Amino acid sequence: MKFIGIVGTNAKKSYNRDLLTFMQKHFADKADIEILELAAVPLFDESDDQSESPVIQEFVQKIEAADGVIIATPEHNHSIPSALKSIIEWLSFKLHPLDGKPVMIVGASYSVQGSSRAQLHLRQVLDAPGVNASVMPGSEFLLGRAQTAFDEQGNLKSAGTIDFLDSCFAKFMKFTTIVSAMAAPAEVKYQPGTYDVVATGHNGDLPMSVTLSDDRIEAINIDTSSETKGIADVAFKRIPQEIIDGQTLAVDAISGASMTSNGVINGVAQAVKQAGANPDELKKRRQNAAKPQASVTDITTDIVVVGAGGAGLTAAAKVLQAGRNVLVLEKFPAVGGNTVRAGGPMNAADPDWQHQFDAIPGEKHTLKEITEIDEATIDADYLPDFRALKTQIKAYLTENEDQRGYLFDSTLLHRIQTYLGGKRTDLNGHKIYGQYDLVKVLTDHALESVKWLEKIGVNFDKSQVTMPVGAIWRRGHKPMGDLGFAYIKALQPFVTKHGGRIMTETAVKSLTTTDGKVDGLIAEGPKHEKVVVHAKAVILASGGFAANTKMLQEYNTYWTAIDDDIQTTNSPAMTGDGIRLGTSVGADLVGMGFSQMMPVSDPDTGELFSGLQVPPQNYVMVNQAGKRFVNEYGSRDELTQAAIDNGSLFYLIADDAIKATAYNTSQAKIDQQVAAGTLFRADTLADLAKQLDMDPAVLTKTVNDYNSYVDAGEDPEFHKNAFDLKVAVAPFYATPRKPATHHTMGGLKIDTGAHVLNTDGTPIDGLYAAGEVAGGIHAGNRLGGNSLADIFTFGRIAAANALEDELTVAEF
Amino acid sequence: MKLVGIVGTNATSSTNRQLLQYMKRHFASQATIEIAEIKDLPAFNEPEDRTAPAVVQALSDQIAAADGVIFATPEYDHSIPAVLKSAIEWLSYTTRPLISKPVMIVGASNGSLGTSRAQAHLRQILEAPELKALVMPNVEYLLGHSLQAFDEDGNLKDATKAAELDDDFTAFTAFVDLTAKITPANKFVEKNQQFSWSQVANGRDL
Ligand SMILES: Cc1cc2nc3c(=O)[nH]c(=O)nc-3n(C[C@H](O)[C@H](O)[C@H](O)COP(=O)(O)OP(=O)(O)OC[C@H]3O[C@@H](n4cnc5c(N)ncnc54)[C@H](O)[C@@H]3O)c2cc1C
Ligand SMILES: Cc1cc2nc3c(=O)[nH]c(=O)nc-3n(C[C@H](O)[C@H](O)[C@H](O)COP(=O)(O)O)c2cc1C
Ligand SMILES: Cc1cc2nc3c(=O)[nH]c(=O)nc-3n(C[C@H](O)[C@H](O)[C@H](O)COP(=O)(O)O)c2cc1C
Repeated sequence: MKFIGIVGTNAKKSYNRDLLTFMQKHFADKADIEILELAAVPLFDESDDQSESPVIQEFVQKIEAADGVIIATPEHNHSIPSALKSIIEWLSFKLHPLDGKPVMIVGASYSVQGSSRAQLHLRQVLDAPGVNASVMPGSEFLLGRAQTAFDEQGNLKSAGTIDFLDSCFAKFMKFTTIVSAMAAPAEVKYQPGTYDVVATGHNGDLPMSVTLSDDRIEAINIDTSSETKGIADVAFKRIPQEIIDGQTLAVDAISGASMTSNGVINGVAQAVKQAGANPDELKKRRQNAAKPQASVTDITTDIVVVGAGGAGLTAAAKVLQAGRNVLVLEKFPAVGGNTVRAGGPMNAADPDWQHQFDAIPGEKHTLKEITEIDEATIDADYLPDFRALKTQIKAYLTENEDQRGYLFDSTLLHRIQTYLGGKRTDLNGHKIYGQYDLVKVLTDHALESVKWLEKIGVNFDKSQVTMPVGAIWRRGHKPMGDLGFAYIKALQPFVTKHGGRIMTETAVKSLTTTDGKVDGLIAEGPKHEKVVVHAKAVILASGGFAANTKMLQEYNTYWTAIDDDIQTTNSPAMTGDGIRLGTSVGADLVGMGFSQMMPVSDPDTGELFSGLQVPPQNYVMVNQAGKRFVNEYGSRDELTQAAIDNGSLFYLIADDAIKATAYNTSQAKIDQQVAAGTLFRADTLADLAKQLDMDPAVLTKTVNDYNSYVDAGEDPEFHKNAFDLKVAVAPFYATPRKPATHHTMGGLKIDTGAHVLNTDGTPIDGLYAAGEVAGGIHAGNRLGGNSLADIFTFGRIAAANALEDELTVAEF
Repeated sequence: MKLVGIVGTNATSSTNRQLLQYMKRHFASQATIEIAEIKDLPAFNEPEDRTAPAVVQALSDQIAAADGVIFATPEYDHSIPAVLKSAIEWLSYTTRPLISKPVMIVGASNGSLGTSRAQAHLRQILEAPELKALVMPNVEYLLGHSLQAFDEDGNLKDATKAAELDDDFTAFTAFVDLTAKITPANKFVEKNQQFSWSQVANGRDL
């Protein structure tokens, strides 16, 4: 038998260690006891999960592989030491290796009582549901007066004590045999057949059919059409495979697609149940228990790219076009990062194309307003361009004075709008705007990026010109098909077909340098194996840090508060890894205090598409007291700050007519959300108020006032710019909303060649950055549609310069 | 009256911290409650020199200067979190500021049982000979379903739970006054007696 012995303290000198060492020796002919120490185990912290760290993984894997565990505990202050408590907390948090494991408790202490009170606490702790160990009852082995109990060779002196320990250990061996017999998975028998079931995925129903033979799950067929392409695909491929390979339901959800993953698992469980078997038995079946030992993979390539989002895949494609080798490392199981979540259109001024579309009302007014801006408010570096733009606009306005006219655009307008849109002042009075040379490169080369993407295989819908949300102007090139995924769907196969290698589930952990030049990196693969890469250059394209609340709070200088429990619209992968990698080799940072929030997000998930999302003219926003608090037509920043000032959580009120204008939902989804308590519905406003813990009189008055403003066409309270419907027809709805983190404008400081700069302003040899990981362009606020323009433009530039600098490939 | 409220967790978002913040505001007219965090304390590791690191000393001084201490503990695996245990071990092993200090225990948890088992453990721990705190008897303030317990202003939503806390807190202030009268001499003796497990080893079992 194989046992793990845990020394229950991190102290240098421990009689409990002596006791385990004695047991190891004394019982060597009966069992193999491996002793684990606690000194390297970090103090448990719920908000800093280290379950995947090598230290915790060693405990997890060794315990899972062992037949049982022996814990030797001292007694500190009548309880177990914090070090022992800490490892148990780690082993009950995300991972549960002690679940069902036979455990023997022993303890040595100075006093006569031994460690009786600590042992009692330890029993209670091991019995907690997150731990759920099978602790051997009775047989408390307490070694009192430990300081006199051992001889020089470390053997117990007293024959009586040894006899008792022998009998306890013999009992534990027997106990282990019995417990493992109990834990052995019961044989599972199915009523053979194909079962049609409907599970719940991320976007609603997930219909599937599961084929079972007498004793096996044979096939799982899923209707994948309703789930999000580019996000859910990995789950559809991997989860059924793992279920069938292991004939188990104990499979881990895929990070980033856990809802789809769990949907598939639950669907199979339903089928198993219908076939007369108990799905819990299948959940007990562990996949091949111990994970393989860590091994090292060593790879040499020309250029290595960190992150397989839009910027990273673009850089990789560009390297391959030059005939060089590229390796892309991606932390998550799926490629695409935030780029697959994007709305789709990318900004690029293309006046020839835009010319064919008519101007729409208001656009001339916007242009005229630009010409009326006081030049004193324009920063000096932008002034020449601003004046040139004014000349262009004036010519256009004169030309079209008496006619509707066409849609105007120019790279100058794009540049000045990017500049004006990004200009902000933070709470410390620090002013920021987009760095001129970077904004110039972005706006001069965005159209080239559109043309380049077309060559890679992205088809744009030329028949319409769109204005992405928050973009200010109609210059969005919209790909056909699946929004942001359309780019990745073209880039990924381009890269793999041309010999590029993409390694998923491989997170880059550190950069390597030789004499100050970055020449590779170290990553960790899916089985915790070390991956060492040597390359001529490293391109960081790992995205921003909007999913890292701690980091946002640490740098924030713009919002008055960022809640600890704030959600994000981003993929959970966006934790600012690239920024940390850059600063570890001396990179400078720029604009880190500025982040963008999406004011109308789901308070629990950060998503935009839950509840009733209606056009802003139909928004009626009330705070938790039931009062309006902002012009619902305001900018993202205005709505966000107003929400923060009102305690973050607020509600969108709708009636049945407004509900009909929602573009994101269906009656079935609405009913489901009402039942789940994530959307509120009532036949009267008073009842709705009660559900929301509001004073019914307050909410009713708010709505009556609002309706009167709609009638009058004017809102004297908050000056809402546009209204449409009143809130009048039952049933009434309230969608809870909170701001969620959306985009991080700050990041690594780069030059126009995408070289990462150090704090002296000189390029760090061998290091490049592109996409949201880099800062300086969008400054205080990013225009909608400008990110995509940015990542495809700077992704290309980073690759071109890495090739030129490090591999002396001239223009190509 | 001056009290220290110890947040028994290192989690960045904690309803136990919220509970103490509520108490600080709500009882401002009865007592000054300073909130103490333990998240920056190093993990206790029985250093041979027995000296308190600066952060531990600071916490210890804060406790020493207070008339009483409130512990707000979550429940992790039917007991108190390792990080709180670690903080207590530091205090018991170095400066021992809790000797004869009046203590009130409160706890918030997301489940329905509201930390009853963790509170029972904490009581036993604080009564261990190395600590000798005076834990107020008969009072156990448990706040279950803590994620839903506070309104947007950080006040307790449930009037009954709020009233119960008012009563418990009033009882605690009386307890602090009472213990101040009966313990000074005793405190002096204890503080000058270096506790050490070697005494135990030498036959004075505790
Ligand atoms: C919901 C949503 C909607 C949006 N809509 C728009 C829009 O309509 N228009 C627009 O222009 N912008 C939009 N944006 C912003 C835009 O999508 C992003 O700014 C852009 O996609 C960033 O691209 P990127 O290549 O820099 O990073 P990403 O595409 O996010 O890729 C980064 C990749 O790096 C990986 N990675 C991270 N750390 C590591 C590591 N240590 N090792 C290896 N890999 C790592 C990540 O897993 C990820 O795959 C939106 C963003 C969101 C979240
Ligand atoms: C537009 C959009 C579509 C998404 N589609 C899916 C999906 O189909 N399946 C899924 O499991 N998660 C999807 N997600 C991700 C989840 O909402 C959530 O962010 C993610 O599951 C959190 O990480 P986790 O799965 O590791 O818990 C989508 C997110 C967005 C923004
Ligand atoms: C490792 C771990 C173990 C837990 N064990 C328990 C438990 O045994 N009983 C319980 O009620 N809650 C348990 N919980 C949940 C906590 O009670 C809950 O997170 C905490 O008490 C809430 O307090 P806080 O908001 O101050 O963190 C556990 C949480 C973690 C992280």
